[in-house]
Amino acid sequence: MKRLAAALALVGALAAGPTFAQTPDPEVAKLKPKDFPTQPIEFTVVYPAGGGMDVTARLLAKYVEKHSGDRIIVNNRTGGAGMVGHAYLATQAKPDGYTVGVLANLVWGDAMLRAQGRWSLSDLEPIGYLNSDALTWVSSTEGPYKGMGVKEITQAAKEKPGTIRVATVPGSMWDYIVEQIEANAGAKFLRVPFQGGGAGITALIGGNVDVAQGFYSEFRGHLEAGKVKPLAVAATSRVDLLKDVPTFNEALGGIEYVWQVIRFAVVPKGTPADRKAYLTAAIQAAMKDPELVEEYHKTGVFFDPKLTDPARVAAGLEEYVQREREFYQNTGRLK
Amino acid sequence: MFERAVNVFWIALGVATAAYSYTIGLIGVSGPESGLFPFIAALIVTGAGIALFGSARSRAAAPVYPRGAALGRVLGVVGGLAFMAVGIPWLGFAVAGGITMMILLRTVEHARWWESVALSVASVAVVSWLFGHVLGMALPRGPWGW
Amino acid sequence: MEAIGGLLTGFSVILTPTNLYLCMLGSLIGTLIGVLPGVGPLAALALLLPVTFALAPVSGLVMLASIFYGAMYGGSTTSVLLNIPGEAASVVTCLDGHQMARQGRAGAALGIAAIGSFIAGTLSVAAMTLFAPALAAIAIRFGPPENFGLMVLGLVCTLYMISGSTLKGVLMIAVGFLLAAVGIDVVNGQERFTFGFINLTGGVELLAVVIGLFGVAEILSNVEEIAKNTVLATRIRGLWPTLADWRASWRPILRGSGLGFFLGLVPGGGPVTASFISYAVEKRISRHPERFGKGAIEGVAGPEAANNSAVAGSMIPVLSLGIPGNPVTALLLGALVIQGIQPGPLFMVQRPDLFWGVIASMYLGNVFLLLLNLPLVGLWVQLLRVPYRVLFPIVLLLCVVGTYSANKNAFDLWVMLGFGVAGYVLRKLEYDLAPFLIAFVLAPLVEQSLRQSLVMSPDGALILLQRPATVLMLAASAVLVILMVHRNRKAQGGNR
Repeated sequence: MKRLAAALALVGALAAGPTFAQTPDPEVAKLKPKDFPTQPIEFTVVYPAGGGMDVTARLLAKYVEKHSGDRIIVNNRTGGAGMVGHAYLATQAKPDGYTVGVLANLVWGDAMLRAQGRWSLSDLEPIGYLNSDALTWVSSTEGPYKGMGVKEITQAAKEKPGTIRVATVPGSMWDYIVEQIEANAGAKFLRVPFQGGGAGITALIGGNVDVAQGFYSEFRGHLEAGKVKPLAVAATSRVDLLKDVPTFNEALGGIEYVWQVIRFAVVPKGTPADRKAYLTAAIQAAMKDPELVEEYHKTGVFFDPKLTDPARVAAGLEEYVQREREFYQNTGRLK
Repeated sequence: MFERAVNVFWIALGVATAAYSYTIGLIGVSGPESGLFPFIAALIVTGAGIALFGSARSRAAAPVYPRGAALGRVLGVVGGLAFMAVGIPWLGFAVAGGITMMILLRTVEHARWWESVALSVASVAVVSWLFGHVLGMALPRGPWGW
Repeated sequence: MEAIGGLLTGFSVILTPTNLYLCMLGSLIGTLIGVLPGVGPLAALALLLPVTFALAPVSGLVMLASIFYGAMYGGSTTSVLLNIPGEAASVVTCLDGHQMARQGRAGAALGIAAIGSFIAGTLSVAAMTLFAPALAAIAIRFGPPENFGLMVLGLVCTLYMISGSTLKGVLMIAVGFLLAAVGIDVVNGQERFTFGFINLTGGVELLAVVIGLFGVAEILSNVEEIAKNTVLATRIRGLWPTLADWRASWRPILRGSGLGFFLGLVPGGGPVTASFISYAVEKRISRHPERFGKGAIEGVAGPEAANNSAVAGSMIPVLSLGIPGNPVTALLLGALVIQGIQPGPLFMVQRPDLFWGVIASMYLGNVFLLLLNLPLVGLWVQLLRVPYRVLFPIVLLLCVVGTYSANKNAFDLWVMLGFGVAGYVLRKLEYDLAPFLIAFVLAPLVEQSLRQSLVMSPDGALILLQRPATVLMLAASAVLVILMVHRNRKAQGGNR
């Protein structure tokens, strides 16, 4: 019994350990409100633990702890492809500064198309930009389409409509880019639904789909093993770690093939201004840490120049929101 | 009697869900739509409900329903759990849990006052420590901060 | 014999004081997590993930992995003693394990569970050592049609689990399908059966259903009957399994190990599915299936072995390909990514220290867990002597916290309560709840894989006949159904 208790105590110490050795940054500390925080701050992630969003949030939490000296707990509130967590942040989370949502721009689709009046984007106030990840098409290095670029594959999809299988996640940007390409090129792909990008990449390697869509961190291992070949990235310019991969705009000659995951932090509306300013400063300090930038860089993300200026985060995001809203209106999803 | 009511419940459930599934679409262009699987399941539920209603062979052999003190105990536990579900977001885990345990110990098992208080406080404290500190999971706090 | 060379590398990495200590600690925490109703390995790993930041990658991974399989050892404890499952993979152990406890044979049940888990764990890690790359190559070819075949086979096995009225059992399976439809339809993103409730968009939480149906319902049933000093077992008949127990158990343990290993390997499988299918197989193969549900030790030995070897099985796709097959392995993957390591097909070559280190730690972990759990059997059995009226409020509290730990959402507590009352009533009316649960777990996978298969096939449903593995599994399912109907007819004919 005693040994059990000792072991448990040790675990407790271990759990608390890494957070005790931090001395906060002076610019962060001077904004610290009185009596805040007295308990750990929750970083809410609306996707399962271990996924790309979760990794981003945990890395951020580690460095925010380092620069602010506060204790952060990452909490996964999953369900409904993010819907449950988004609704929680918008309607149920107390706006007392103890809850910070680490979200992706997928929340915009939820708010505009699926919230059904229960909540809206104005219930969430952005306090910091983290990084962006461009959606990438990959194909297998074996099989009938190996060696082809994205233009050739689109051509093949036009000549043989409904035969080229693309892995998508229904109701999100995975679908939208396929729609755009189909509309502009007169092609027709066969869309196979999966629950996430990773499952699609697994299917690609198993020969069950011909093209998969995902992010660098999801296929990096397979890329290094020579199993997959990236075809194009849906960004405005080429991505550092994939210098030889053209953008969709380059390959297909357009300007609208820009689809990326934009990760940012929010607090529920109504959070007191001083606490909001403190959290904003803490996140900024973390984002300036070269170690964090390097860790993020290794996962294949990039930093969108339109959003890296802290003063312009909310306005910059709003521009992207507007662009997405226009897309929904043009495609008849939104009136 | 009660069992017949339950069978009627199955029939009603089956019919209602079948109707709902029908409205969300059964077969689409590329195969089954959202409603197909629930629709088939609902039909099976309705069919089984009807068969159970008619068949005497499938009846439960003399189920014993609680009466008197036993019923009180069962309802006590149900009430306690409901109180926890309502109370935890407002009062926090410690307070809601403590109160519920006190009530259960007093009503369901007729423990003495000091026994109930001691056991409630001790168990709530141990559970909070176990989850809050050892496992690092934040249990909801009440308006008093704990 | 590169596997042996690799293992030696692995052991050299593992046999340091820090790593040994972390392996032990992880096993201990895992066991504790398994014992606590509701809190499962996923919640525990998510909570302890930050601890691994301060550790070297090998150490962190070893600790997390040992929590995973430690939980499979501990899960059987409350199942046997209190008829309340420690987590979803231990539900079947309640069926026969608790009956054995009531007969005073809790020690035998717990002992067989621990030893069976050890044998399964060791065998599965050995298989992992020798065949990981080859098996991974097979696993990756498992597409939607193969998944569908496997899930159908699993569903058919569910039919075998029905004890009592077949009509009621089929009804329960259908209700399981209905409940699983609540939430967002994965295939087209549409909301189903949510009626505008945000809390239902994620579907009904499995953990809340399990704890409600098997935990709260059990407490309600017992509370009905308690007198001042009711204990769960008045006589404890011996602490260890007898020779007869061994003779009955060794084959189920071997079968469970094999079954669990393969079910862990395929995507969508895992310890939960493995435990159910093992139970159904044991019941089907047994010459006296009517003993199941009344304290048949095969019903404990098989599933407990299966859920342990499923852990090793599910580690293979992650370690060999970087592909997680279930939420727990996804989390392990995330832990590595945070450390800057991306497992992929080259993982074994790029980081042999990590790859073989984890495998070596699994051998050791199984030994630790055996040494930890066997002596504890004597301790746990004493729990049966504690008056129930003192025990149940604490257990109830643990159930509440355990359920809450899944999503931190108070709505799950209402789900738990609702299913608790429903389970209590249904038990009185002799409805079998286990088929409902397995249907609830399998239904989304069945539906998703069938619809995916139909979408991706240019020939519609014919794709199911074009893939050899799928054909095999569907044929096996059909045969099993025919055999079962035949058996039922014979039984009914005999009764007249």
